[in-house]
Amino acid sequence: MLYAAPVAAVLLTMVLGAIIFSLMGYNGVGAVIEIFTRPITNPLKWQDLGIKAAPLVVIGVGLSIAYRANVWNIGAEGQYIAGAMAGTAVALLTMSMEGPWILPAMIVAGVLGGMAWGAIPALLKTEFAVNEILTSLMLNYAIVHLLYFLLRGPWRDPMGFSFPQTSLFTPSQSLPYLWQGTIMHWGVPIAVIVALVAWFVMSRSVFGFQIKVVGAAPSAARYGGFSTRNTVWLALLVSGGLAGLAGILEVAGPFRQMVPGFPTGYGFTAIIVAFLGRLNPLGVIVAGIVLAITYVGGEVAQTTIGLPSAATGIFQAMMLFLLLAGDILVRYRLKAVRPATAGETA
Amino acid sequence: MDANLPLRLELTGITKQFPGVLANDHVSFSVRPGEIHALLGENGAGKSTLVKMIYGIMQPDAGEIRWDGQPVSIPNPKSARKLGIGMVFQHFSLFEALTVLENIALGMDAKIPSRLLEAKIREVMNQYGLKLDPHRVVSTLSVGERQRIEIVRALLLTPKLLIMDEPTSVLTPQEVDQLFIVLRKLAAEGCSILYISHKLHEIKALCDTATILRAGKVVDTCDPGIETSRSMAEKMIGGNLKDIVKQGGRSLGEPAFTISHLSLPAAGPFGTDLEDISFSVRKGEVFGIAGVAGNGQNELLLALDGEVASAPGAIAMDGHPVGQLHTSARRKRGLCAVPEERNGHAAVGDFTLSENTVLTARNRLGMVSAGLIKAGAARTFTGEVIAAFAVKALGPGATAGSLSGGNLQKYIMGREILQKPTVLVVNQPTWGVDAGAAAAIHQALVDLAASGSAIVVISQDLDELLSLCDTLAVINEGRLSARMNVGEVSVEEIGLLMGGVHGTPEETHIAPGGEHAVPA
Amino acid sequence: MSPEFLVAVIITIVGAATPILLAALGELVAEKSGVLNLGVEGMMLIGAVTGFAVASTTGNPWLGVLAAAAAASMTSMIFGFLTLSLSANQVATGLALTIFGAGFSALAGKAFLGRTITPFVEVFPAELARHAIWRVVFGYSPLVYLSLIMVVLTAWFLKSTRAGLILRAVGENDHSAHSIGYSVIGVRYAAVAFGGAMAGVAGSCFSLVLTPMWAEGLTAGRGWIALALVVFSAWRPYRLLAGAYLFGAVMTLELHAKAAGGWFSVVPPEAWAALPYLATILVLVAISMRRSGGTSAPACLGKPFLPTA
Repeated sequence: MLYAAPVAAVLLTMVLGAIIFSLMGYNGVGAVIEIFTRPITNPLKWQDLGIKAAPLVVIGVGLSIAYRANVWNIGAEGQYIAGAMAGTAVALLTMSMEGPWILPAMIVAGVLGGMAWGAIPALLKTEFAVNEILTSLMLNYAIVHLLYFLLRGPWRDPMGFSFPQTSLFTPSQSLPYLWQGTIMHWGVPIAVIVALVAWFVMSRSVFGFQIKVVGAAPSAARYGGFSTRNTVWLALLVSGGLAGLAGILEVAGPFRQMVPGFPTGYGFTAIIVAFLGRLNPLGVIVAGIVLAITYVGGEVAQTTIGLPSAATGIFQAMMLFLLLAGDILVRYRLKAVRPATAGETA
Repeated sequence: MDANLPLRLELTGITKQFPGVLANDHVSFSVRPGEIHALLGENGAGKSTLVKMIYGIMQPDAGEIRWDGQPVSIPNPKSARKLGIGMVFQHFSLFEALTVLENIALGMDAKIPSRLLEAKIREVMNQYGLKLDPHRVVSTLSVGERQRIEIVRALLLTPKLLIMDEPTSVLTPQEVDQLFIVLRKLAAEGCSILYISHKLHEIKALCDTATILRAGKVVDTCDPGIETSRSMAEKMIGGNLKDIVKQGGRSLGEPAFTISHLSLPAAGPFGTDLEDISFSVRKGEVFGIAGVAGNGQNELLLALDGEVASAPGAIAMDGHPVGQLHTSARRKRGLCAVPEERNGHAAVGDFTLSENTVLTARNRLGMVSAGLIKAGAARTFTGEVIAAFAVKALGPGATAGSLSGGNLQKYIMGREILQKPTVLVVNQPTWGVDAGAAAAIHQALVDLAASGSAIVVISQDLDELLSLCDTLAVINEGRLSARMNVGEVSVEEIGLLMGGVHGTPEETHIAPGGEHAVPA
Repeated sequence: MSPEFLVAVIITIVGAATPILLAALGELVAEKSGVLNLGVEGMMLIGAVTGFAVASTTGNPWLGVLAAAAAASMTSMIFGFLTLSLSANQVATGLALTIFGAGFSALAGKAFLGRTITPFVEVFPAELARHAIWRVVFGYSPLVYLSLIMVVLTAWFLKSTRAGLILRAVGENDHSAHSIGYSVIGVRYAAVAFGGAMAGVAGSCFSLVLTPMWAEGLTAGRGWIALALVVFSAWRPYRLLAGAYLFGAVMTLELHAKAAGGWFSVVPPEAWAALPYLATILVLVAISMRRSGGTSAPACLGKPFLPTA
């Protein structure tokens, strides 16, 4: 029953999407087929799915932990960029060096960068009681401008014909491919490992218990000896750190240099991934793949039937709407069933 | 009261079914004009459901309501008010951030210009001797003053029937007396009053007739002037009252839990400051803290169990200062606690009972190793609690929210008591719990004390404290009175202290040795 | 500094402040009824694209504004249905609304990229606004005057009307309001619809007055700033007005700095662009520090209402 709502939401999105896009004058049925089935039926797209899903899953796992704690971090996009930027900074400092330590150093910097950007709303919430929703969101906009400044100035590739972008990363700064000749990089298995570890920690450890109890009932958590303040910090550091990890994996993987077009909204899409995955790290893996399908399928539909790229966002938002609605309807149905059976016995 | 007048209200065969519960089962009774009629019953007997149907908040599944002899249907509160039915709720439907005047305006169906309304309010207040400033913001008022708003609001409609739902549960004995004067005056003017309560002495003092409900059914309609409190109580509970078995000749041991000069500022604008609280509880002693709701009981519990830190020396266990230790550290030293609010404080509704066990028992009972939770150990202990306290639940995997209030309370009490604390602090241990469960909880507390634990019981139910405790003190506006021995103190004295009247020690008969006799 | 320059500065500040003032005013009313709608940004984008589409098709900017209000209000009903009728989480639903608004406006606006519109006819005759000083009073787009009227109307509605009192009561204690006999859900639907309409008008400010054209995401996070502004105002309309102009000043600093030259030009433009967002954070911190302990937020803000009776 727990997973009925997300499955129903995805199916209903396909049906409603077909209707709505038909009404708007597009080939609605075609759009749904292209978006939702083409990436699955065409094995050439499977690698794309993997590398699109990886950052969504890594960020989504972090967000699912934060949301469980009732910490509304919607600054994952900024934390993702911050992580990528911190890793890029290490890369730019080690351009002339070689060695197997460089990539791990970049990854560590990426995680720390994401944590640092997540620490700001944590600090403001715990020290000044400022709501994290607005602060974490404002920081998304702020860091994009910092990125533009660095790319225009200090970080610009001197050999780059004055394009605002960094030099290409060296081989020891780039995430290796799983198999030669493919685009599948190590970020994909890392995402799966992150989700599995998070699932184990959330379901079995005192840390996971703390996150869940603080989110469900803060007074009970305090009574049980768990500090809300401490939990806010943990939630933002973990979700920020994972967003930062996704950022550095993305920049050291598919991008291999920092460009102004790096922020693509994964941090926002990952919010949908976290909800669609029921705030459960294993569910997040599935949800990440579903959202990756909409991205890859959206690109397919763009070339095959000329569907605008914005259509992907609409499908994603519809999925979240229907999930939120479906969730409640499933709960109501359960409630409606109970009195009926009680009535029979009476 | 003219017998020829039609009955003001007559209920016949009123039935209301909820999922799994028959809340009202063919309830019939009637109220004459000018009669003060008590509706008596335990929590969960169906009193609230019944009056909600009279006031139009709910609809009966079957049965008939007659008003002044005519059958009526009351689809909503507005039509109830149109008939002349007013209601003062147990939990006030007031708006904290709005003024008295705005609150009353919201309750009026007719649109009256605020100046005119203010004049009317002042008129009603003068007539019944109710004092209130219409321009005060509600959040600054005391509980008694808030109730006055509700009463004024109801009286403005010149009701023919006034329903009072547990009106005295939040009042001091003196405020209760004032309320009764107003109610008698109203009745003398011909207004009927339906008075809902489970407090027998009030009903004996005030009411002309009493209808007693048990498990949704009327068990008797009687004259409270003739019945004794005990006979009405037995009808209400449906069996002979059980007395708590206390072992005779207990000797109290060394002081186990000592509070000295505990002061804490309130956490929020609606909280209460704790001021210079001192008391000491010996091994084997049950110490009660009486008081009207909202006088610092919750703040005191939070300070005692470590949810709010205090000065290091303010709280000591066996002579060791623990004031700055947090909840988990105090638990390790043997201090367990049960807060008043079951859902969301003492337990998490969405969690299973096993998970709720992990919440407080994980360290004392070794349910954690290397940062991981031993789910098996939690399940086993939860099963023991369920068995020992006769908790009606599907098992350790049932969610806390699926249990009834009384069963959840039994589970929570059991969870703490079976951890064998050396000090146990409980707030409102039997609030909203049926009589059987309350008796079981009381017995468990007495037994724990007999095994040598020091127990603090905070309660608004004076009867509970008087039957349970060895010694008690009264909390009022965050200050605690001197300690008194149960059996040497009268209810009137306690009532005065609850109302904030602090007599001199001679007048209040402080028990010898009661006043900080134990060195901190 | 010449008076002309000063007047120009004031006019740009008021221009930049007006959309966030309108959007924040709508959100203020919604929040007063106890609903936290984080979808302001999305509704603004829907309003911006609808207003532009209608104005450029019909040639009448006023029809554009009306259509913007209607479209955004309808969009807000998706939020209303989910959070009020189905008691869905308001934070998540608001975010979904923003994502939806961004996607939908981008899609619907494709056909209108690069199109132009006929601007508003000035409210006051040009002669009145000829002199620099008088321009400060008479030289604005009609939407600016509309926003000021709405501030006064909203303040009056909340403080002095019975409907306003009921709306506040619903936001303060929904269960009490319900037990007295008011329709909590009905009042909240109305407040959400008003909030949506105002966000729509705010969005049309961008596409019809400020820019004036359609571009994807042209509201650039102003909807979020409007949300912060409501907190800043402590839910009081006149303080909202002051706050909006303060933010307008911060948001236009980049323009003025360029014009002023001197040491202002040393600061990179990106820093100016990031300033409104950082200033918002600083303001939130300052507000929260001053209000230690109590808060003036409506007591039921963001909590779903589930009638028990």
